[in-house]
This record gives sequence, structure tokens and C-alpha cells, in this order.
Amino acid sequence: MSSHSLIASREQRRSALKDVAIHLRGMTKRFGQNTAVRDLDLEVPRGCIYGLLGPNGAGKTTTIRIILDIIGPDSGEVMVLGSSDVESVRSRIGYLPEERGLYPKMSVIEQLVFFGELKGLERPKARRSAELGLERLGLEDRASDKIEALSKGMQQKVQFLCTILHAPDLLILDEPFSGLDPMNVDLLKQFVLERQRDGATVLFSTHLIEDAERLCERVCMIAGATKVLDGRVSDVKAATGRLEVAIGFEGDAGFLDSPDLVDRVSDQGRYVEVRLADGADPQEMLRRAVAAGARVSRFELVEPSLREIFIEKATEAGLSARDQDAGQARQEPVPA
Amino acid sequence: MSPLTPKVRAIVRREYLQRVRSKWFLLSTLGIPVLFIGIGVLAGILAVESNTDFETHSLGVVDRTGRLGALVVEELLRDSILTSETRGLENASNEAVRDSLLESPFDLFLVLPSGILGSASDPDSGSDPPEVGLLSRNNVGSAVQRTIRQGVNRALVRSRLLDAGVEGIDPAILLQSARLDVVNVTQEGGARSQEVFEVISMLLALVFYAALIVYGQMMIRSIVEEKTSDVVEVMVSSVRPWELMLGKIVGVGAVGITQMLIWSVVIGTAIAFGLTAGASALAEAGIDLSAAQVPWGIVALVVTFFILGYLLYAGMFAGGGATMGVWAVAMSLVPFFSPILMPSRLLVSPVPALQVTAAVVLLIGCILGVAWVAGRIYRVGILMKGQRANLPEIIRWVRHG
Repeated sequence: MSSHSLIASREQRRSALKDVAIHLRGMTKRFGQNTAVRDLDLEVPRGCIYGLLGPNGAGKTTTIRIILDIIGPDSGEVMVLGSSDVESVRSRIGYLPEERGLYPKMSVIEQLVFFGELKGLERPKARRSAELGLERLGLEDRASDKIEALSKGMQQKVQFLCTILHAPDLLILDEPFSGLDPMNVDLLKQFVLERQRDGATVLFSTHLIEDAERLCERVCMIAGATKVLDGRVSDVKAATGRLEVAIGFEGDAGFLDSPDLVDRVSDQGRYVEVRLADGADPQEMLRRAVAAGARVSRFELVEPSLREIFIEKATEAGLSARDQDAGQARQEPVPA
Repeated sequence: MSPLTPKVRAIVRREYLQRVRSKWFLLSTLGIPVLFIGIGVLAGILAVESNTDFETHSLGVVDRTGRLGALVVEELLRDSILTSETRGLENASNEAVRDSLLESPFDLFLVLPSGILGSASDPDSGSDPPEVGLLSRNNVGSAVQRTIRQGVNRALVRSRLLDAGVEGIDPAILLQSARLDVVNVTQEGGARSQEVFEVISMLLALVFYAALIVYGQMMIRSIVEEKTSDVVEVMVSSVRPWELMLGKIVGVGAVGITQMLIWSVVIGTAIAFGLTAGASALAEAGIDLSAAQVPWGIVALVVTFFILGYLLYAGMFAGGGATMGVWAVAMSLVPFFSPILMPSRLLVSPVPALQVTAAVVLLIGCILGVAWVAGRIYRVGILMKGQRANLPEIIRWVRHG
């Protein structure tokens, strides 16, 4: 869907966009006794890919629903695409909810045209856009089939197409990768990157921190209804001031047993990940390995993973082990 | 701005086409007229059968008056009912008469009680004459019953005339009664027979309620469709809740109206092509359809009210009688009652144009309001899982969304 006639030129679009796509200030939402989101500030700059991270139940979906004005906040300020009236910018948003679904009895093309119309496209335009999209996905000869006659994977493709048919300026994806087959994970990433290249902003939520680490420029991490940290991924990592080294070697591993340098070792099979002790010099580490007679095939300084930062921050914030929930996330298969 | 925004129109189109193209629509649209015509034809066949089996009934007259029996036999034979007098049962008890029917060669016994002729000196005694008994082995068709009743009546008249010393007058002429045709005379010079319209407005009310029940179900299914297919979040993030509701109400409503239109055309055609049983039944009851002028303007208004009222009630399904005089006028303007009361008033007497307009405007406003409220409830309720909502909670949804 990259740059056909639906979309105005990139320059026009960029000049029309102000700086901030989503702006939340002091946003709180309660359901009965439960506080789903507490006093959340969120600032998503335009044109970036932004990850909303946190374990299941952290308040990600509630935040997204409030941004979309599906539910109202109890207090706080919400601005989307420069407007506090979400209604007026609704047709510029594309939303892929966590619970995905299509009308099973409707044909593929009717479905696409229908959702296009709901996003403010005129019928002929919606149809043209849908046909182009189907062609690109190789589904053009399934256009008149009913949704229920398609495979799960094809249904997922049609669902993406519904989300981006109207070339939205803001794409909001709730747990977009869960339940997708690997082919469609790649396809969706492609769509996301394309939308971003066209100047759109992408906000997505995930409990799989690795996904966010690969795709996002910026992240916001929430746990137990509260923001834990946010900012550029590179800044977040730099701020930890901690060093890890990946070492691949053959021979005696005895050199790793030096508490003055090594804080923790995790064996990754073909290499080990070493977290250095505070103030330790990586050069000293390399020297010791060589001195111990190990044949070093790899020695690399690596940034700490977002997951580790997240767990650390969440623990600092005094959240319970259940809230952190990171163990669960780790067990889930990570899409390629 | 028209409430039918492009988004609402898209929803209307989807709801309408999905349903009209379904097998359910095809089956019920064709099936119901077939069923009704089938029942009509069956009833017709049965009626014809029972009318042609006059000769198969043999009737014995048990005459307790001593003189009416002979006249009854004469009259019934004239109507080709095989009738003869029985002997020896005149003073038997009712039980004995019943028992002897089973042993006799007769199918029917007609028991003329002794008091049936009344006292000539006291015709207005006030108390009803005793009933004539008709005992039967099998079911007796209504046509046969009517023939027998008319025959007995003629015999009674003849008997009383004989008592009064009058002879040679055909009792059938004496028995001919007057018919009363009630006509409303209006300023516009039109005159219409009231009875026909009373019947029609009653029928309309019946059809209205039947439609509400059938299509209300359809409405409810339509409302939960998004929830069962998980489309709901995309929908509520794309359109305002009232747009979704209004689209559904109009779309599903239009399906019902389409179906009823098809049925009207089918039934109208069927009647025009000689299924005149209904008309002749009315004629027999003293109502002459051909004499009534068709007030097309009023028919159009009636249809308008039907459709608007139907849509309003369809809207109420989506979310979850009166007397005469000033009260009726007031209530016929109130949206929840006007769809039923205003057509009745229109059919019975002239209604000021202002009142008609006011009722229509109020109805349309109310439809939009109901859609709005249902939308507010829908948008919160659709996201709820498990727990049921109580009334205060629902009111909170409506106020805060």
C-alpha cells in the first residue's frame, strides 16, 4: 500500500503533521476497585515507531482504548493527532485490536470496502484500494470468497489490509504479533515500516519485549498500571551504565570464575553472556581469557536487553513478582 | 446534517444486504405466503366438503311441541336435508334421547323443546325461549348447522303465523333483516364506511405486533453479531456508537419492511386473482369492500406510521393502550404510543394536520434518541465480559459513556 495515489505526497503530509501524535497527561482509569492505569504521561512523537511494553494485565489495552476513545478516562488529558476530540481524527487512525475478527459471512472484497467506508473512504476509492491491496497479497482471486472460507493465515492478511486500507496517519496495533504465523509476522512488519516511511506514526503494544527491541525507536514500559520508564531505546540502555560482554571461545572456562570482574554468567551454548562487575574493565576480561589459554572466537560488548532493564526497573519500583510476569513472556516463542 | 451519514449508510447497506441475501430470507419470504395460502386452500376444501355432504346427514326430529315437528321436516327437506320425525321419544329424558341416537339409523337428532313456541299472550316475557338441541354422532359442518338453524326459524315463524290465523306468506321474506351501514360524513365530502376501517386498523395492529416480535429477534441477533465475531473493537473505534445503532435499526428494519412489502404484493395479487374468500366472508358479515372508497392519502400515512413505529420499536429492542377523548389525542402524539394510536384515529375520524406532523416529528426524534441511548449502553456493554450489569450501572454508562 506504500505510495499509490491514495496518499498525498510525503512533503505535504509531513508539513501537515505537528510534532506529537499522541499526548497523554495524568491519565487514570479505574474499573470498580481496580485501577487499570494510574496517572500515565505518554508522549509519542510523530513519525516514530513506539512500543508500549508490559506484562499481561499491565494496562496496555486500556491505554489504547482510551487513546481511541472507545472508553473515556476517569481523569487526565488525551490528545491524538493534535486534537482533543478523537472523533474528528478517527478516519486517520488505523487500529488492529488484540481480539481480531471479521464478519464471517461477508466476502473479502465487501468486507474491505465496508471498513474503508467506515474510515471515510468513498466507495469506489475503497474498492480500488482494496483491490490493489489484495493483488499485493496475492489474494486477488479470493476477493469474492466469504471470510469463513479462508485459512486463518489469509484471514490475518485481510485483517491487516482492513487496518491500513485508508493509509492512516496513526497506526495502533494491540499485541500485533500474537497468534500470527511467521510469514504474516514478516508481512506485518513490512506494512509497519512502510507506513512509517510514509510519515505515519505507529504505536504498538506487546508483552514480548524482544519484538519491541527490534522495531521501536522509543518505548514506554508499564507494569501494574504504572509507568516504569520511557524514552528512546538507546537512551534507556545508555542510562543503565552497565556492561555485558558476549564471549565465544574454546578451552578452559576457568577464567570466568573471577568475582572481581564477573557479576554473572549465562551460558548461551555457542557463547557465554557475561555481566561485568561494577567498574570492571572489559579489556582486563579479554586479557585473562587469553592468558588462561582459551581460543577466543568472539568478544563483543553488548547492550543490556530491554527485558533485563525492565525487570530491574520493575523490581526497583517494588512491584510484586506476579506483576512482573516476565517469566511468562520468556517462555513464549519469539517470532522470527 | 442528516443523521444518515456515509458511515451510517455503509452500515445500513451491510446489514440489509447480508440479511436479504441469506437463505433464511429466501425461505421465510417464500415460505410464509405458501403456508398461508396452503391453510386457506385447505380451509376452503374442508368448507366445500362439509357443504356438499348435506345428503349424507339423516336427521330425526324429536318433537316435544306436538305440532312444530311437521313444519320443521317440511322446511329442512326443502333444503335437501334428509329429515323425518321420530316417534316415541317425545316424552323421553334427554339421556334416553342421547342413548337412542346411537341405536337409531339417524346421524342427527333435532330436539324441539315444548316451550319453544312460547306463550302467544306474552311474547315479551323477557326470558329467552328454551334452546333447540342438535345431537350428532359426528362433527357437523358450519354450513349444515346454519341451514338447520334457518329451517327451524322459518318453521317457528310459520307456526306462529298459523296460530295468529295468517296463511300463505313466505316466512323467508318475513325473516329478512335490515343491514346497518355506518358512514362518516366529512368536510371533504368523502364518506367512508367505519366498520371496514375498524377491522383494518385492528388487523394492522396485529400485524404490527407480529412484525415486532419476529424482527425484534433479528435485531437482537444483529446486535450481538459484532461481539460474537470479535469485530466490535474495530467498529467502535471507527464509528460513533449511535451511528452503529442507527445503521442497524434502519438496516434490519428495512429487511422487515422489504419482506412485508413482498408479502403484501403476493397476497394482494392472490386476492386480485380470485381468492375472494376473505371478501365474501366480510360481505356476509355486512361489510361491503367494493362500496368503500380507498383513501390513498390516509393509506400512505398509515404506512408511514407503521414504518416509523416499527423502526422505533426495533430501536427499543436494540437497547433492551389508551381510552378515548383528550387522553387519546394526547397519547397519539407520544412516540411510544403514536404508532398504534394515530393510525386508529386516522382511520376513524379526521385528524388535524398539525397533530399528524407533530406525531411524525416526535417519532423521528425519539428514534434518534433511542439509538443514541442504546449506542451508549452498547459501547460499554460490548466490552464487558462475564459479569452482568445492573440498572444503576447501565444508567451510569448512558450518562458517562
